[in-house]
Amino acid sequence: MPYIVKIPQFEGPLDQLLTLAQQGQVDLREIPLAHIAEAYLAGTEHKVDLEEATEVLWMLAAMIEMKSRLLVPKPQTPAEPLPVEEEPSDLEARLEEKLQEYRVFKEVASALRALEDYQHRIFARPPGDDPNAVFLEGVTLDDLFRAFQQVLERAREEVGEIAAEEVKVAERMESILTLLAQHPQGVLFRDLFAAAATKLQVIVTFLALLELIKNRRVRAQQPQTFAPIRIALATT
Amino acid sequence: MTIPNGLVPQRDDVNLDELKRAAESILLVSGGPVTVDQLVEALGVPPQTVHALLWELQQDYGGRGIQIQTLAGGYQLCTRPELALYVQRFLRLDHREPLSQAALETLAIVAYRQPITRAEIEAVRGVRSDHILERLLERHLIRDVGRKQALGRPILYGTTEGFLRYFGLKDLGDLPVLEGNDPRGALGGMAPSPQASSVEGSGAV
Repeated sequence: MPYIVKIPQFEGPLDQLLTLAQQGQVDLREIPLAHIAEAYLAGTEHKVDLEEATEVLWMLAAMIEMKSRLLVPKPQTPAEPLPVEEEPSDLEARLEEKLQEYRVFKEVASALRALEDYQHRIFARPPGDDPNAVFLEGVTLDDLFRAFQQVLERAREEVGEIAAEEVKVAERMESILTLLAQHPQGVLFRDLFAAAATKLQVIVTFLALLELIKNRRVRAQQPQTFAPIRIALATT
Repeated sequence: MTIPNGLVPQRDDVNLDELKRAAESILLVSGGPVTVDQLVEALGVPPQTVHALLWELQQDYGGRGIQIQTLAGGYQLCTRPELALYVQRFLRLDHREPLSQAALETLAIVAYRQPITRAEIEAVRGVRSDHILERLLERHLIRDVGRKQALGRPILYGTTEGFLRYFGLKDLGDLPVLEGNDPRGALGGMAPSPQASSVEGSGAV
């Protein structure tokens, strides 16, 4: 959701303020940007939405840049006569056209928002092997964690001396990718952990797997709750 | 609730009610959307009959917990939106994160004006959009569809099939149309244009 600005001079979404400023419809010299920033920061004390924060930060920075340009005095006498300015009416028409174009997409976006909202509230069985599928289909972090615990449990049963060895996450990532390349249909989560794995190996393997999922190199799929989790190479 | 006679093959043993129930069971066992072609093959009836059967089936679902949706690729059984809370609780799924407003606007521009370059998108939005485009690419909502024959050969973007599924659309023609302000017509986005013909390397999907 866009961040809503509420100051005496302007009330509405921040991105609209930016658009209006860029199109010269709002005089930034009259807009206290510091107040907007302070109000936003005050709001983030309870809850920070990183995506929104990024956008707000970016838009404020853009407006600060524009405002600073406005405040810097311009050279009084140009060395040469100014080139003939575009007919004001023409300029206005073009601005109006631009604004109109943007407005149309804003409207379309809200229509798409309604569709998105509807689709987010309905569920279907996930398609089988679809390259565009969601990367963690039906698998929650809890499921992965539970599966990890089971593997760890097994590792714990192996009592004995553990030889010092160094297992690197990057190496494990490579070996998982190699293994998956040999099994286009994917392998079961538990098969990634060799039977005799030490606790350290299990942990490194799990970290490597999380890293691969994060990097979208592999997909984890669980057809049903509590069903075995299958890991496969991301096909895109 | 009956189907006009002309749509059914002239066979007495074809029981429409059975075919309808057969279509229903196929939708149930399928992992994803079922195409009309697949149903034509499985049921042994012409496409018009398939459409009619599914239409009837959809009527039968009135007041039930599931429904049939037509989206990219075909028909799909899915739950009803008003039951989302229960389904989410059962699947232990969080509320799905919606797209940010900026991402949605950018996606709208790509959808209606594709194929389109980043610079063209930015000209409409008035702000830089590279970061947002990257996120849309990551989510497989848009893809690289080729390069424009212009200075620097910029990448052209278009929407994916995942985009259609994300918004529950049959195809691009199913995008919302706005009265008098249809960006496709007014801005000449979707119609074949010289720009479109200069796209190359768009074969990869």
